[in-house]
Amino acid sequence: MKFLCVPCDSPMKLQSVAPPERGSLSVVYSCPECGYEMAMLTNAYETQVVQSLGVRIGPAEASAEAGPAGAAAKAGESGTKCPFGAMIPAPAGGEARPEEPVAVQWTSGAEARLANIPEFVRPMARTGIERFARERGAQEVDEAILDAAREFFGM
Amino acid sequence: MKSYHDIVGDGGSRVLEQVVEQRARITDGLAGVRHLVAVGSGKGGVGKSTLTLHLAGALRARGLRIAIVDADFNGPSQARMAGVQGALFVPGTQKVALPRTSNGIGVFSMGSLIPESEALDFESAAQGESHTWRATREFALLGEILRSFDWGELDLLLFDLPPGAERTVQYADFLGPRTSFLLVTIPSEVARGVVARSVAALSKGSNRLLGYVENMSGYYCRDCDAIKPLFNSPGASGLPIPCLGTVPFDPELARHCDRGTPLAPRPDTPVGRALDHVAQQLLDSLDRTPFSAHGSGELRLGKEPSR
Repeated sequence: MKFLCVPCDSPMKLQSVAPPERGSLSVVYSCPECGYEMAMLTNAYETQVVQSLGVRIGPAEASAEAGPAGAAAKAGESGTKCPFGAMIPAPAGGEARPEEPVAVQWTSGAEARLANIPEFVRPMARTGIERFARERGAQEVDEAILDAAREFFGM
Repeated sequence: MKSYHDIVGDGGSRVLEQVVEQRARITDGLAGVRHLVAVGSGKGGVGKSTLTLHLAGALRARGLRIAIVDADFNGPSQARMAGVQGALFVPGTQKVALPRTSNGIGVFSMGSLIPESEALDFESAAQGESHTWRATREFALLGEILRSFDWGELDLLLFDLPPGAERTVQYADFLGPRTSFLLVTIPSEVARGVVARSVAALSKGSNRLLGYVENMSGYYCRDCDAIKPLFNSPGASGLPIPCLGTVPFDPELARHCDRGTPLAPRPDTPVGRALDHVAQQLLDSLDRTPFSAHGSGELRLGKEPSR
């Protein structure tokens, strides 16, 4: 979808994406010529159709650090339960993790590797790996645990 | 006033750009795979998954490097049959390691993660309207899997497709012309009719139709060591594609599938011989028309969406 400022006959540029609220995204566009701003407000079905493509809406630079999959994953695992959480770039810092009944810590290296797992199955994969670690008396998932799991399952 | 096509880019949402990037990463991930073969039918219950697994076993016994993608996300069965139920998806530094069977066949199946008592569920605020987005979501997930897992160097990557003639065509569209199709039927007029529709639909596209396998072509009685009829259907299928072989139903094979201990190919049994024959026919068919002589030669899936 593209937006055109009719008086200027100029393509409008995406300015910002507000966090999803009850399934609706608020995407603000502005005209680079006259500065006119408009907001596209989606209904839940429209939001869901775009979300189903596995893409994220928002300026690329906002999530360049984590990359597309990483940014989507962080938003999706933020614990908000919002089905559209993965659509917008994650805010800097302050990531909340889902509550776990038994604390198993992840090293940053292991977390980085976890981000390689498809977002949809990541929570299930995380749970399985933490169970594997606990069964071996480990309270932390590090890269050695991941390598041990690979070896255990003959990968 | 400018029209849609006068405007370059989309103002910053990058939706199309991301879809194109996703497809490029899938192509890169599958660059080491020599043949992509989708095993479909259109008809459910004809033994696509069983045949896929045991065909993979017969190919593996020939020393080939094989992996299976259980593309039936809603009714995954490969995890149980291949004995990788409960196998973890373990991330490496770049890609996710593929669970493997005891004989070295890589298997991706949602059944490794999702218990059989649970259904595949996507969270959505558009609940009750899943018909508008669910297929798109599932294909996006398939794409994510293809670009995330470590397929490495493979001779064949087999896709075990879900039932449904329309779904079969959707997979053909998604997987693109590089993927060849092997269809499965049984000696039943009902099943053959559905498979014939799949053939008709697939023939309109650019995927290569390698042929079909007639599964449950009689059953193997171990007591008599003989093949006995299972269906009272005429011999000729009438399908306008080559028959790559017939495979009898073997209750022992079914029992091992339930247990997750797939039978090692036994060339001394009728089923083993049949599977080995199908494997040879499949390889001959793939070699007769290499992809480079059939399609564009590019290692890419699907078509880039028009802007």
